Amino acid sequence: MIPFVAFSLTRAWQGFWRNALMSLAATLTMVLMLLLLAGFFVLQNVLLASLSYVEQKVEVVAYIENNATDDQVDTLVATIGAMPEVASVEFVSRDAALARFKEAQAAQGRQDLTASLDSNPLYASVNVKLRSPADLDSITTTLRTDPLVRNVLNIEALVDRVLTVTTFVRTAGVVMVAIVGVIVLFIIVNTIRLAVVARAEEIEIMRLVGASDSFIRWPFVFEGALVGLFGALLTLALLAFAAEPLSQAMVGFFNVLPLELGSVGRDTAMLVLATGVGLGVLGSWLSVRTYLIR
Amino acid sequence: MPVGGDVAPPGIPSGNPTGSPVPASTPPSPSTPLTVSPSPSPTFRERLTGRPRPAADDQPVVVLHDVTMRYPNGKEALKDVELVVPEGDFVFLVGPSGAGKSTLTKLLIRDELATKGMVVVDGDDLARLNRRQVPKVRRKIGIVFQDFKLLPRKSVWENVAFALEVTGTPRRRIRPAVDRVIALVGLTGQAQQLPTQLSGGEQQRTAIARALVHDPRIIIADEPTGNLDPVISWEIIQLLLRINELGVTILMATHDAEIVTALRRRVVALEDGRIIRDDIGATYHRED
Repeated sequence: MIPFVAFSLTRAWQGFWRNALMSLAATLTMVLMLLLLAGFFVLQNVLLASLSYVEQKVEVVAYIENNATDDQVDTLVATIGAMPEVASVEFVSRDAALARFKEAQAAQGRQDLTASLDSNPLYASVNVKLRSPADLDSITTTLRTDPLVRNVLNIEALVDRVLTVTTFVRTAGVVMVAIVGVIVLFIIVNTIRLAVVARAEEIEIMRLVGASDSFIRWPFVFEGALVGLFGALLTLALLAFAAEPLSQAMVGFFNVLPLELGSVGRDTAMLVLATGVGLGVLGSWLSVRTYLIR
Repeated sequence: MPVGGDVAPPGIPSGNPTGSPVPASTPPSPSTPLTVSPSPSPTFRERLTGRPRPAADDQPVVVLHDVTMRYPNGKEALKDVELVVPEGDFVFLVGPSGAGKSTLTKLLIRDELATKGMVVVDGDDLARLNRRQVPKVRRKIGIVFQDFKLLPRKSVWENVAFALEVTGTPRRRIRPAVDRVIALVGLTGQAQQLPTQLSGGEQQRTAIARALVHDPRIIIADEPTGNLDPVISWEIIQLLLRINELGVTILMATHDAEIVTALRRRVVALEDGRIIRDDIGATYHRED
């Protein structure tokens, strides 16, 4: 077993370097395709993060009756906060509401007219952020049936529109990545096939001198994996070099949208490595198979 | 440079083929189509490897019984072929292009399966072999082609060693075996050269060395002199005759009427997929 693996690895290594031009062409194609795939993958993640950000902006505002006691409000906040659909709950007292109103007016450069009020006309509110805007209905219903709640701001129309847009963009993103994935698959498998077909005579001779199928297949499979590995590493090196300047260029964008892209780097690296090696192996396996089945 | 490669194995005539035509009076092979000829002793296998030939070896190397080969496109390449090749025989397979010579070769190495009938090589009924056993049968057959089929990026030595490497032979057994067969075909001095640096005759001798390195029971040569000029062709024939003398059965498909006529060995003539003649010492005139 070990001599066989050693043999296959040695032959794969030799095969790669003895057909350097073909291997180089295959590796470069691999790099280009993986860059394309990685690019779309990162874009897709930025898109998803942007959509989550937009969706998090959806906030259910329930106005509280003025006669509610602090204890009652605390209970309500605790109840709502315990619901699984709820991301966070915030209680805004009447005074806080007025302060916010003043702030917002000042920020827009408008005159502060609240001074002319004899009393605070604003209601206290419970502001609920949802994990997903799709849960709007159940939260709204819960809030509406609570006796403390005066009324709930109706944002269904807005939420519907947001959901329509985000769902469409999400689906489009997945479809794009899928299409690019299929293109990458076919081009890589075909490139590997070309490299194998170029050595059809070698395979023919191996068959004629009585090499068993595994002795013919595995060196080529390992060689495909080698092309995939080299291609993936080269792609990751290019991405690593490009990542810093790219994020610098997009710093303005990221300031507007504080996105959470924590694991995208790691995910991209995994995707590139798995795709490169996986398709290298798949491509050579399929290509050699056509010569073995007779 | 392989160590000891310039020492010919004991018992094998040394010296390169001279290139002079073999006289027509070369003694014909003592074999007849249906009897087993006594193989020279010690056999090639014993001389080459020091291992004794397995016992109970009187069976013919090749038996074709009632073989018909019809390709998927409906063309019948072989019809009702009966052929028995005893151990140690030297058989010419002649006939015009398209007569079925190549198909016969393909059946013997199980590149194709016969539509009907039985093909037996060294006791193995090829139709009953499963996929995993096919390579083992191919190792008992050495194949030589008109176009040599050498790997251009490998040296003579590497081309011959390749046949052992890809069949899982341990490294320590490869070197002596390759050195021996390269010495046998007289290429020790060119062992490190690439095929492109060799003459056609030398390339074909490399291919013959590769065919021999598995210590085969039979060598199938498909037009081995087809790409060579007459003088070089005779060198190749002499080499094959010498290998035959060492006990290896030889089946050679050829168009070369001069060689067939001069050697007066067994001649099997194919035409339109049928064996129309099977004589010893026959002559052959090309009609195409």
